[in-house]
Amino acid sequence: MKIKSNFTNRRLTGMFILALLCGALIAYRLIFIQFISHQKYTSQAERNRTQILYQTAPRGRILAQGGEVIASNQAAFSLYYLPPFDMPEDSILTEMAQKISKNTFKPQKEILNILRKSLKNGKAYLLADNLAPNNVFALAELQNFYPGLYLLEETKRYYPMGTFAAHLTGYIGIMERHAWKELSGELDYRLNSKIGKSGIEKRYEKLLKGSDGGLFLEVNSKGRVTKIMKDNRWRKGADVYTTLLAPVQKAAEDAIKNSLTGKGAAVVLDVKSGAVLAMVSLPDFDPNIFTPYSTNKNDESKIRIPEYNLAIQGLFPPASTFKTITALAAYENGHLDIHHEENCTGHIYQNGREFKCWKQHGPHIDFMEGMSQSCDTYFYNLGLKTGPYNIEKMQRKFRFGRKTGIDLPGEKSGNIYGPTKRAALKTYWFGGDTLNLSIGQGELLLTPIQMAVYAAALASKGKIWRPYYIKEIISPSGKILEEGKSELVEQVQLKKGAFELIHKALKNVVDNATGRGAKIKDIAVYGKTGTAQNPHGDDHGWFLAFAGEEGQEPEIALSVLIQFGKGGGAQAAPAARKIIKAYFDLKHNNAAPVKKQV
Amino acid sequence: MFNYDSQIKTKRLDWPLVFALIGLCLIGFLTILSAVSGMSEMSTLIRTHLIALPVSVAAFMFGWLFNYQIYAEHYKKLYAFVILLLVAVLAFGIVARGSNSWFRVGILSFQPAELCRIALIVITSAFLASRPRQIKSFKTLAIFALFILPVFALIMKQPDFSSIVVTAPALLILLFVAGVNTYYFVLIMAFGIMAVVFPILWTYFGLYPDIADGSFILTWLNSLSLNMISGLIFSAGILIFFILGWYILKYFRLFVPFSLVFILALSIVGGFYSGYFVNKHIKPYQRKRVEAFLAPTADPKGASYNVLQAQIAMGSGGVLGKGFFSGTQSRLGFVPERHTDFILAILGEEGGLLGTLSVLALYIIILWRIILIAQSASDLFGYLLCTGIFAIFFVYMAFNFGMLIGIVPVAGIPLPFISYGGSNLVSSMWALGLVESVYFRRVSLV
Repeated sequence: MKIKSNFTNRRLTGMFILALLCGALIAYRLIFIQFISHQKYTSQAERNRTQILYQTAPRGRILAQGGEVIASNQAAFSLYYLPPFDMPEDSILTEMAQKISKNTFKPQKEILNILRKSLKNGKAYLLADNLAPNNVFALAELQNFYPGLYLLEETKRYYPMGTFAAHLTGYIGIMERHAWKELSGELDYRLNSKIGKSGIEKRYEKLLKGSDGGLFLEVNSKGRVTKIMKDNRWRKGADVYTTLLAPVQKAAEDAIKNSLTGKGAAVVLDVKSGAVLAMVSLPDFDPNIFTPYSTNKNDESKIRIPEYNLAIQGLFPPASTFKTITALAAYENGHLDIHHEENCTGHIYQNGREFKCWKQHGPHIDFMEGMSQSCDTYFYNLGLKTGPYNIEKMQRKFRFGRKTGIDLPGEKSGNIYGPTKRAALKTYWFGGDTLNLSIGQGELLLTPIQMAVYAAALASKGKIWRPYYIKEIISPSGKILEEGKSELVEQVQLKKGAFELIHKALKNVVDNATGRGAKIKDIAVYGKTGTAQNPHGDDHGWFLAFAGEEGQEPEIALSVLIQFGKGGGAQAAPAARKIIKAYFDLKHNNAAPVKKQV
Repeated sequence: MFNYDSQIKTKRLDWPLVFALIGLCLIGFLTILSAVSGMSEMSTLIRTHLIALPVSVAAFMFGWLFNYQIYAEHYKKLYAFVILLLVAVLAFGIVARGSNSWFRVGILSFQPAELCRIALIVITSAFLASRPRQIKSFKTLAIFALFILPVFALIMKQPDFSSIVVTAPALLILLFVAGVNTYYFVLIMAFGIMAVVFPILWTYFGLYPDIADGSFILTWLNSLSLNMISGLIFSAGILIFFILGWYILKYFRLFVPFSLVFILALSIVGGFYSGYFVNKHIKPYQRKRVEAFLAPTADPKGASYNVLQAQIAMGSGGVLGKGFFSGTQSRLGFVPERHTDFILAILGEEGGLLGTLSVLALYIIILWRIILIAQSASDLFGYLLCTGIFAIFFVYMAFNFGMLIGIVPVAGIPLPFISYGGSNLVSSMWALGLVESVYFRRVSLV
């Protein structure tokens, strides 16, 4: 039944319409908040109520070709305090702090402060991390006495072979802020996550890193932990198999370590693919120092390591090893008569300047002799005959002055030396420069890896490979994520017989002359010594070599540099011998035990 | 001939209103139970609410069965009683939650200001109804102002800011609907707007000092809050502007009484100075609330934290809600005042959009029924009484919902029938009882 209206009033009706409009606005906002923005608010509510204790996942391992483990993981424990609802007495806290302090190498006062802070804020706090398993037994026992202590199993990086291939493997450390900004978008990085800082650890960071696990705690508005909601397991990172041959790498490291100065670099390449079989740079470091267990004498921040990777970053004049280029340039342009003889008086004059030979070789120095004795006089004359343009052209053919393209950060390109280069730099080319150029002194600079690539090119008759060090990367589920591929950058075309001539000359160097230190029975070793003049100290010793079974194609090519080693023949050649021997020993004892370390 | 007798027998109660009321009380009871569970004083709160419910039903019955026309005859006594009550609470009341506004009798405590809100509506309606032909006169308005100011002063003394926030607009609506002269209304509005806009403007400049840069007018407006002389120039400017305006109108042969223009200018200046006064004496936490309203995301851990958390609670509830007793936001204490002012957030989280829209719909139904009943009233007093009660529930609804959805600053205003609070429940039920009483006696047999 209708209500009878005694009063009608426009103003009251207006008010009711206002109320309806108000209701409509409210309804619209409610729908907006509760229906349209539902997802956004749900995630905010979820974030509100959870605190996550992260569990660092084990990084993928790094292995040598034969399965030798270069980098793996060790169990490391983190001790957390989840504050209980009932405040423990102060005396109990002190007692707790004392016992924890004893097993975590942290001062009692610091532990006590964290415990108090944790109780005050009601949040879970980290008391200590990187705890070694032997400390953990005692702490696990404490868990039974003091509620709230929580041990979380994590992992830390461990390099079983210590310094082995440290420059290639790299090391890990706590990331910088800018790195976090770059990485956090893709993977679950946190500000205190450790990431690869150099080498493979850095280059393959994203594959090596698994995904962290975590303990999801429900917290209330004051952040007080109310319960553990779920426990996510971590996922391990992918294993990286390198092309390194562990015995060869080991031999190379030992050989340089035991040389005169113990400093230098060596790169060993597979002639048929460009795979890096060994890469050494000394001085090196033990990456384990960045990932120690907590002890009472840790001070990670002050560690200084020789991070400079000589093998790809060290620039040296190639010295006498460059005589092969001069010889090839002369041959290519028809200026090389191998029977032509020079008379070495120990020096020649050019434009009134004296250019010395390292030794007075006397008369009757032909090409073979000139190469094997590394007679500068012979090559001065050969260089003058060939001309600097041709020598420079030959450098370019072998891609001197350009990066080899190995997939490592910080590789240097070195530089080319010649009249064209000079012209580009707007300076002049003098007659004396040609002499310096022909024996590889002067402004020309090469890295050891460029030298090794060059050696491999000589060995394979002109194949310039892009060196690579990844054999394959295998995910925990067994899927191959990445595979190393050999990549031919260039095939150097030379006149017929050029490489054969060089092979013959270099074999002669090892068999009969300056390279004798590298001679091995039943193995055909080809090599060239070099002594790079160093105005700042003792000269550097070079040895460029390749080797194969007697009567067969060369298999490996290498370069050895002994920094301040004075002479290539005395220091670098014996080191190269050890490396080549290690390779062929490994090859011949194919059934030999390949030690599997896990 | 109309059969009044049968009508009176069958329709003594407006059932839609009662059903909507029961619905709200049920939802409210459930939400309160959910909101207080887990709180340390949970059992006390539930017990109090369980006591308040029957008391409020009694208040409703009283309001309904007692002839409302009797109030009209004794509104002066009622006024004296209100003043007495407010003085007594200042003298003998206990302090709770920062304000001296509670009476304690045995285990029960009671907030007289809640009752006074409804009583003020009754008094004002009765006063206006007693002068039906002078409603438009200035004298009525002046008397109204004279008797209302002591009450506000006493409430401010407690202090109970939120009572004023609800009562003042409700009284304005009542005056407006009663038919106060539009000109006076314009005066009041001009005064009020000036008093509110300037403090908000200055707070806004305080939040974003950069926007005043490069704008002469904004910089100057900002300087008004600091500089007495600019304030004087400003007020003189307004007076001159209006007087000039009057001369111009006169020139065009548009005669407006000079007094009207002058009083309007005075009220604007007065409003400006009240705003100046408010700005000087506003409490830091109140300014924080205004700031939080002006820039809710500027400082999410600060003043706007409460509103943000309440919105997260509502938003995470979605359409159907997380189910009663299982909201994480409320259960873990992220929502402040979750059983009183922010109870809608709990309902929104646990009951979802369904819950909040139901409450909104029930409120609209109640407002609608009150309007219908007002129009059916048998006398002017009943009509005005219903209008006032409509205004009060309208203001409650607009402010409480508005606060949650971020269109009104947080002012500590509960939502009757849903929020926990015995005094509020009892007085609100009494108010609806009064409405039913008007309905009951809509047909005059005299």
